[in-house]
Amino acid sequence: MSTSDQLTVTVDGVELQVAPGTTVLQAAKRAEAWIPTLCFDDRQAPFGACRVCMVAVQGAPKPLPACTTPCRDQMVIDTDDATSRRVATAVVELVVSELPQAPDPHTELGQIAERLEVTDTRWPGDTHHEGHDFRHPYLAFQHELCISCGRCVRACDEVQGAFALTATGRGFESNVTAGLNAGFEDSTCVSCGACADTCPTDAITEITLLDGVVRERSRNGNDPGRRKRRRIASE
Amino acid sequence: MSTIDAGRFDKTVTTTCGYCGVGCRLEAHARQGRIVSISPADDGPANEGHTCLKGRFAHQFTRSRDRLTSPLIRENGELRVASWDEALQKIVAELERIKDTYGPDAIAGLASSRATNEDCYAMQRLIRAAIGTNNIDNCSRVCHSPTSFAMRKSLGLSGATGSFSDIDHAEVAILIGVNPTQGHPVVGARIKQAALQGCQLITIDPRRIELADYGVLHLAPRPGTNAAVVLGLCHVVRRDGLCDEAFIAERTEGYEALAELLDAYTPQAVQEITAIPAAQIEQAAHIYGQAASGSLLWGLGVTEHKYGSEVVQLLCNLALMTGKIGKRGSAMLPLRGQNNVQGSSDMGALPDTYTAYRRVDDEDTAQLFEQAWGVPLRREVGYKIPEMFDAAVEGKLKAMYVFGEDIAQTDPDTAHVQAALENLEFMVCQEIFENETTKYADVVLPASAFLEKEGTFINAERRFQLVEASIDPPGGARTDFEIILTVSRMLGHEMGWQTPWDALEEIARLTPHYQGVSYERIGRAGCQWPMHPDGSDSPTLYDQYFDRPGGRGAFAALPYKAPGDAPDREFPLVLVTGRVLQHYNAGTMTRRTGNADLVDRDWLEIHPDDAKRLWISDGDTVSIRSRVGRTELSAKVTEQITQGHVFTTFHFPETRTNLLIGQSADVNTSCPEYKVVAVDVRPIGEQAAFTPQLETVG
Amino acid sequence: MSQNVVELIRRHHGVQAPSALEVLKEAVEDHGELTDDDRRRAAEVSGMPEAAVYGVSTFYDDLLVHRGERHVRVCSGTACFAATGDEHVRAIESELGVKLGERSPDGTVSLVETVCLGFCHSSPAVRDGETIDAGPGMVARVRDAGCVAAAEPPWRSLLASPVLTVAGEWAGLRRALTELGPDALLEQVEAAKVRGRGGAGFPAGTKWRFTKQAANPEKFIVANGDEGDPGSYIDKYLMEQNPNLLLEGLALAGFAVGARHGFVLTRSEYPLSKPALDEAIARAREDGWLGADILGSGFDFEVTIIEGAGSYVVGEETALLACLQGLRGTVSARPPFPAERGAFNRPTVVNNVETLCNMGFIAAHGADAYAALSPDTETNGSKLVCFNERFVSPTVYEVPFGMSVRELCEDVAGGLRDGRSIKALQIGGPLGGILPASKLDTAFDFDALAAEGCMVGHGSILAFDDQTDMREVATHLLRFGAHESCGKCFPCRIGLRRAHDEFASDQRVQRERFEQLLEALELGSLCAHGGGIPAPMRSLLAHFPDELDLT
Repeated sequence: MSTSDQLTVTVDGVELQVAPGTTVLQAAKRAEAWIPTLCFDDRQAPFGACRVCMVAVQGAPKPLPACTTPCRDQMVIDTDDATSRRVATAVVELVVSELPQAPDPHTELGQIAERLEVTDTRWPGDTHHEGHDFRHPYLAFQHELCISCGRCVRACDEVQGAFALTATGRGFESNVTAGLNAGFEDSTCVSCGACADTCPTDAITEITLLDGVVRERSRNGNDPGRRKRRRIASE
Repeated sequence: MSTIDAGRFDKTVTTTCGYCGVGCRLEAHARQGRIVSISPADDGPANEGHTCLKGRFAHQFTRSRDRLTSPLIRENGELRVASWDEALQKIVAELERIKDTYGPDAIAGLASSRATNEDCYAMQRLIRAAIGTNNIDNCSRVCHSPTSFAMRKSLGLSGATGSFSDIDHAEVAILIGVNPTQGHPVVGARIKQAALQGCQLITIDPRRIELADYGVLHLAPRPGTNAAVVLGLCHVVRRDGLCDEAFIAERTEGYEALAELLDAYTPQAVQEITAIPAAQIEQAAHIYGQAASGSLLWGLGVTEHKYGSEVVQLLCNLALMTGKIGKRGSAMLPLRGQNNVQGSSDMGALPDTYTAYRRVDDEDTAQLFEQAWGVPLRREVGYKIPEMFDAAVEGKLKAMYVFGEDIAQTDPDTAHVQAALENLEFMVCQEIFENETTKYADVVLPASAFLEKEGTFINAERRFQLVEASIDPPGGARTDFEIILTVSRMLGHEMGWQTPWDALEEIARLTPHYQGVSYERIGRAGCQWPMHPDGSDSPTLYDQYFDRPGGRGAFAALPYKAPGDAPDREFPLVLVTGRVLQHYNAGTMTRRTGNADLVDRDWLEIHPDDAKRLWISDGDTVSIRSRVGRTELSAKVTEQITQGHVFTTFHFPETRTNLLIGQSADVNTSCPEYKVVAVDVRPIGEQAAFTPQLETVG
Repeated sequence: MSQNVVELIRRHHGVQAPSALEVLKEAVEDHGELTDDDRRRAAEVSGMPEAAVYGVSTFYDDLLVHRGERHVRVCSGTACFAATGDEHVRAIESELGVKLGERSPDGTVSLVETVCLGFCHSSPAVRDGETIDAGPGMVARVRDAGCVAAAEPPWRSLLASPVLTVAGEWAGLRRALTELGPDALLEQVEAAKVRGRGGAGFPAGTKWRFTKQAANPEKFIVANGDEGDPGSYIDKYLMEQNPNLLLEGLALAGFAVGARHGFVLTRSEYPLSKPALDEAIARAREDGWLGADILGSGFDFEVTIIEGAGSYVVGEETALLACLQGLRGTVSARPPFPAERGAFNRPTVVNNVETLCNMGFIAAHGADAYAALSPDTETNGSKLVCFNERFVSPTVYEVPFGMSVRELCEDVAGGLRDGRSIKALQIGGPLGGILPASKLDTAFDFDALAAEGCMVGHGSILAFDDQTDMREVATHLLRFGAHESCGKCFPCRIGLRRAHDEFASDQRVQRERFEQLLEALELGSLCAHGGGIPAPMRSLLAHFPDELDLT
């Protein structure tokens, strides 16, 4: 029985008391159980897009996503369940397949892939088109690395409140861009860098961390602070 | 979060941002002695894993080519490179000469609100103990000194009554004279999120600030009429029974006098003064008065006025009348501008107080410090910054030692400042770059930026936070702390410290409010003064009593008075000055980073109706004149400003905005009235003339 | 859905601002394509951030292609595919000299594919401008720019007293307002155990109960008229031929849970639905069945019709709400459920059109009478089913639950035309399992069909005749799945593309890898789109492995 309004949950055999509203992922973190995630950032509300954080919950017919599943009293959770891990690994394998090159080891995706032992992908086929935007003094877009996890859009929404980013396209062609797709400077971006901070693949990253990039310097001309509209260089 | 692995950097140091008063905690990543990248610290109490483009990206200035890396001495009108020994000896020789010839009061010091608490404490100790005068001030003079004065008078302590987290618990928040999404971006973002999730935001500003679009009500008063607005709100609160009578009875004093004064400030009367519709005054008062919790936030749009300190007292009235103080969600939050403007004053770098605002003429305090420092100390209050300039022009002040403040760019009435500095016999500037002020320096010393020093800052929440170096000062530059200690030693006063932590230990030992503060106690979460004997700190003030004799909060019955300047036929528009997001104050640091790519100039915001009447198009260069000066700017036609007002920033030295600002200043603290200047604007090349068709404001 | 963006929209919506999607659609109707100025205007008017508007403008089919003076939309849904193997698509491309998704260089004609026009009874179908033509000779009429509006066969009911196929007379609403009251009404609906008719089968009464209990007093009812399933035209008939029944259902839901406003989201592929409903609303207001203080009861209820812009996944309830508010039609994780936080961040009931059309009967006659409509089974109420062009008598039929699939195909719809025989059926939509001819004796009911890896779903019964190549069926379904994937969740976004590409090639499909992908899709997908595609795929693997050409 739980004390007052706390819930009792068991994660990988470890029993804990959690407040109502706690997600399975949060409970697992407290129990120090590892659950892989890609679209999750604890500075944002859970999104439920990557489907990598699957776990087994006793009584549930199929694996559940830990980040968006609320704990219930007496819930018994197994984070290392074979089916869940198999699904997670299959998803990561698919994600790795949509990028033109293997993820950099320092990125979150690179680290998850390593931990799940996804070294190669069995899925040859289309990858994202290359699209670089290096006009901004600090923030760089490498569109081909975007896995549409939504974290940058949500950082710009829920943390900064500038609403400068958006998902674009649909299905496999999904990607992300700023403003009306004419670069960061021509949008409501305030250059806070929250997007670069949260991106798990370096699709958005700090330009100084990219080697050998020659940045297109933007020119403001005579307009007082007016940003010039430019078309994206390639896409 | 995208993890940054050790392979790309050789060092990561957690420190506190040196830009604004939010005090974001940052992880500085360095490689081979240079900053490569900075990311926000997830556990930063003020920023919680977020920051703005200044803290995050604007660090390249640390290695800018024009960084000062060796001392400079002026010879035949030009600055030339010198060795440290030569420069220091010259400083000591000159200061001693002037002291002997004219007395110690002919020397004044200016502490930097950018620098650490330990730097500022060291500076005030140098001026007081080594020189022997109380002529020490810091740049809070020109921003929040009215806040300090007023809050001490009404409530007892000089600082926010709560924390930024109170915003998350506030049903209502009133923002007056502050533009957080520009000047305090991380707090601005927090307010925006709160507003989207149900906090009712009321914004009061002559400009329609960004947050107005997220609020329930925006009031646009004539510049300089804030007092009338606040009195009007108090009037309606009282009239409609929204006071917390029990709180007034048990926890305050002086209400009767205020109540009598309030009678006159009906919404209609306030409308006459402020141009805000009476119905809006009523609505705002009801929203605030009826909420269970409500916070008040203000900035330089309140303080940088002739009666700025009085307006802050009136704001205290509003909180005291409704009992919205000393509780979660009901905080008074002055958004302090600089990263350590709170701390530099807390450390006593002020002409009238030692640490924690204990007066220099208070016997017990003076003796405490005399004992600690082993020298006799003066009881006479020293010069405030504007008084320093006046004294210099009069010939009474002969020398100044300034570090980390570009007074020739940022202080008002530039012509007067220039005259003052020219009239000095000797001036030392301790800086990271040459600037407008070093043009008058006899000796320039190369100092350190925030990423290159250690010590503490105090942010706008009264929170001590640690500053630790991730890179060294470049070339021959040294830390401010080391320089000040050395100068003091050479002047004959040994401070006895090895590191800034030793200075902090002394500060804590001599200041009950800061007792127990140390490197360990501050840790990663920081601690908010006043500290208690049991080691706990103070996130919320005044939940039991006010820090005044008798323990009660004091009402202030202060009527509205007109600002120091008013528009007339010759100068029909009113100029308001402020900041933008991408740059910080004088732009010394940010202009030397990629931020200058994003915003490369100051511009003058002008309303379309005014622009049309004056034949000004968007982008035109215009001439702008006030009673004291003239400068030129690019015009930006926008509806963000109300008709009759213009707005500009002061980030670029070419703009020389402060040529326009006169001598009008706060009656209690001398904080300059940057926010109400009558001006004339016209396209460049046009002759000055009366424009009778233009209706004046006010 | 972004809670913040929805809040921004809500604040603007509160002052009658149109949604960004409405503004963008109007712009395309007006000048054939979208400009950045259109996007900026949409942002300003709707309260949505500009970047978000850009995202919307790249999501919906209707907004993507630059239209010519003549805009032709050819249906490539499953029924049309079943009729011609998509030959009609290639023929039209050839006749017009334009490829799918393109505009002629001189701007006179543009051609897109659309799924589905709801004329599955007369496949193949095409929409030329505002005319929907279908059936024999259609391609020639397109070539000659002489399309004529195709007829829609009248629907029929097998019930002694038809419920859904007769015009609603508001008897249910009258009884609810004058006799029952909201609590008793809700109890009847719960007792009636109405299972959602949109495919999920979730008990409608439970949704109503949760929404009623939600704290915020401002609530909404939304009818899901996004019947995007190719092969299904049931809701189309209801909305266009019996709109009063739907409006009554909305009002009843509002009365029961405490909502004052209802919405119907219709499809742009059904251009006649919104006008029909708007006209019905006008008449209902005149007659006093909608508006303020209905029948002097103190109950107010208004209905607004909102049209989509070309996305199948918008039929999922959270994506539906996103589209209704003018956002990208992507699926949101639940919780929070719409009953807690739905349209405009307010508690919302989302029910399928057919589900709501059942409510009038329940309110008028009670839960027991409703159960009696299907006396032979546990499942209550009646069901509308529809058949594709392959059958002799394709139209919408109202039937009781419990009849066998064989009875429905042979006795009711008359079997297949032209002497063909049924090879397999897809029941309930493109995410329904595929029933081989050998299993025709299965009962048409939730549990019985589920046991065969199939479902009731929306109620469409689509026959593939003996000449159909099942690998082509697999490729067709995967192509549809990949094209309509909203792109949010990783298994569906990437997996469907990979699966389609493999089937579309002339390579043998690697079975093991494919089955692992199906597992990831079924167990990992965020919604029933990615989660549902494995069902028909598994049916095909089980019943037609040789035709699929696997390795």
